[in-house]
Amino acid sequence: MISRRDFLRTGGAAASLLGLSRAVEIRPDPSFVRTRPPQSADVNIGVIGYGPRGREITSTLSRVPGAHVAAICDSYAPMLRRAQRDVPDAARYEDYHQVLDDAEIQAVVVATPTHMHRQIVVDALEASKNVYCEAPMASSVDDARAMAVAAQAVSDSQIFQVGHTYRSNPQHRSVFQFIRSGAIGSPAMGRAQWHARQSWRRTSPNADRVRALNWRLDPELSIGLVGEMGIHQMDVAYWVLGALPTKVIGFGQIMAWNDGREVPDTVQAVFEFPSGMHMMFDATLASSFDDAYEAYYGTDSTILFRDRGKAWMFKEVDAPMLGWEVYARKDKFYKETGIALLANATQLDAQNQDPTEDDPNVETPLWYALNEFMDNHEFGPYLPAADYQRGLEAAVIAIVANDAILQGTSLAIDPALYTLG
Amino acid sequence: MHTVKMALEAMATRFELVLMGSDAPSLRAAGEEALAEIAHMEARLSFYRPTSEVSRINRAAASGPVRVSACTFRLLQRAAAITESTGGAFDITVAPLMKCWGFVRGRGHWPARDALQQARSVVGMQHVVLNEPNRSVAFLRDGLSIDLGGIGKGYAIDEAASILKECGVNRALLHGGTSSVFALGAPPDEKGWRVAVPLTRSQADGVCLPQAVVTLNDEALSVSAVWGKAFQNDGIVYGHVIDPRSGMPVAGAELAAVVHPSAADADALATALMVMGTDERSRALQNFGTLRFLVTRATGPVVAHGIDIRARVPIEAPC
Repeated sequence: MISRRDFLRTGGAAASLLGLSRAVEIRPDPSFVRTRPPQSADVNIGVIGYGPRGREITSTLSRVPGAHVAAICDSYAPMLRRAQRDVPDAARYEDYHQVLDDAEIQAVVVATPTHMHRQIVVDALEASKNVYCEAPMASSVDDARAMAVAAQAVSDSQIFQVGHTYRSNPQHRSVFQFIRSGAIGSPAMGRAQWHARQSWRRTSPNADRVRALNWRLDPELSIGLVGEMGIHQMDVAYWVLGALPTKVIGFGQIMAWNDGREVPDTVQAVFEFPSGMHMMFDATLASSFDDAYEAYYGTDSTILFRDRGKAWMFKEVDAPMLGWEVYARKDKFYKETGIALLANATQLDAQNQDPTEDDPNVETPLWYALNEFMDNHEFGPYLPAADYQRGLEAAVIAIVANDAILQGTSLAIDPALYTLG
Repeated sequence: MHTVKMALEAMATRFELVLMGSDAPSLRAAGEEALAEIAHMEARLSFYRPTSEVSRINRAAASGPVRVSACTFRLLQRAAAITESTGGAFDITVAPLMKCWGFVRGRGHWPARDALQQARSVVGMQHVVLNEPNRSVAFLRDGLSIDLGGIGKGYAIDEAASILKECGVNRALLHGGTSSVFALGAPPDEKGWRVAVPLTRSQADGVCLPQAVVTLNDEALSVSAVWGKAFQNDGIVYGHVIDPRSGMPVAGAELAAVVHPSAADADALATALMVMGTDERSRALQNFGTLRFLVTRATGPVVAHGIDIRARVPIEAPC
């Protein structure tokens, strides 16, 4: 029996002639990634916040050249016990001030709940630490601006990078050039989605801890799905399109998790850009169908990002030939899997995978972002791709969009909010 | 008392989770976090994903040390310790032999002599250096590769179970592909979760009766079995379990089941028990105290310790 992959490998040309697939995978130029000189000393990093995201960052840092996680801070004892198991040689602190007082620590990563970022970041910059702050940078415009002002004031001597990881991702940078050079023709519209089947709720045996953990479901603290998830996609959108949105219309509903929550589990927003182009975004916790992606529709082709940085182009039949697409790998869409009425279908699929099929050297967007942060220690300080200005802009987009969603209305985005003046 | 059931497709199989407790939204939240941990583990440990830490090790560790995450390093150390305590019957470097015998993508075949010799030369944990201070992995030979398939699922289940405990869940059952099970606490008014170990073949009337029912409480059960992935040569059936030391598939091995507080250890020990002969098993088991286990082979009696076996029935048709 011939597998789907074998078929694609051997029959790719025929498949494209038959019109089964016109998707062309776009790969980055490896020269985007710099190499650190091997002799340079490791940077001692303090990770503040050791929840799932802090753990992912710590784990990724273990593979980033030049990074040494020297301290971990969390206010909840069980998280510090995890830290002890994961990074036994790192100092453990309950209070972030202890990290800032530790003279050995040169840089901090802030991975706490969003509403706690402001105080920690401002204090860390004041304590002369370099800062990598998770995105969204803040959940209020006041907080975002205060952080941006603090970062701007020390930008000559200190690094402040926001966790908009796609800005550091070679794949996104490559496709960015591609779109900007006109390969999709005239841009017509954009569309992004983030779909998952999960409650967004967290739990603990400790009642205070339950309250603290569920900040994403607290209407006073949360900027909702568009803020916590969509912000990464909207960040790419306004980067790729080269303009900030001027208006947003939003809707939000509780459709699946009617458990007393007030934060919508399903949202839609439409963003207007100065060119007149519109970008649609929707997110839901009710359905995981088709996961997350962004698509940019142009008159010559559509470009699709998905799977954390992979990208494909779908050409119109009358679009000009680019030349190289004849030799590029073609993938059949959609790859979303429904219920397969086959025994062991998932097992067979996995075993048919060729481990070398994708570019084996590709790293996650988080790795590239943290690598850029470490490079900045070596070669900088310079303004990172996701600097305080980009962090502020993305936060403003997300915060106003969340307001529009909660009010079910259209809101203009005051351009003054985007600038520090 | 509420019961919440959840599932996840990962590691080329289906994980299922049953949670019991007083608050359904909390149970679900705990389950989501536990299943997310399994998905994270797959991203790190997958032999097939080019971006996994295991793939990175396999590509680069022969050229120099590869740094890995604490989590992956812990598992590699655990695997190395089990290799040592089982006299090499369990070994995560067995992949070249599996490939050579045609068990990676097929039902298996007799390999060419040269190919077998070549594969044997690149199998063995003695060729893998684990450097604790900087948590790096290096291969002493080209061609080595690590496949955590025999222990990774159990490890993911252990990590998921520890998250459930941290979340305050004290009654749950979690399994991956029905071959690795972890029971947290017990259902109300029960001593534990009752899990059946199937017969490898059915009775004449086609009815599959379990050959044992194991009660688990804060314990894992792992079952290793040939399940049809086997071929015949000169009338002997060779299953997909290979003895890493001889390079040969284990003839006649049918099923091994192990109960252990850790699902990772249970997984690895079940594989090791499939490989070991009777005498070797007796010697090795001294390293494991009062291990509860069960082993069946195509011929000979069922060997069990700490697990009740029902009367075995005549075997006629495949299950």
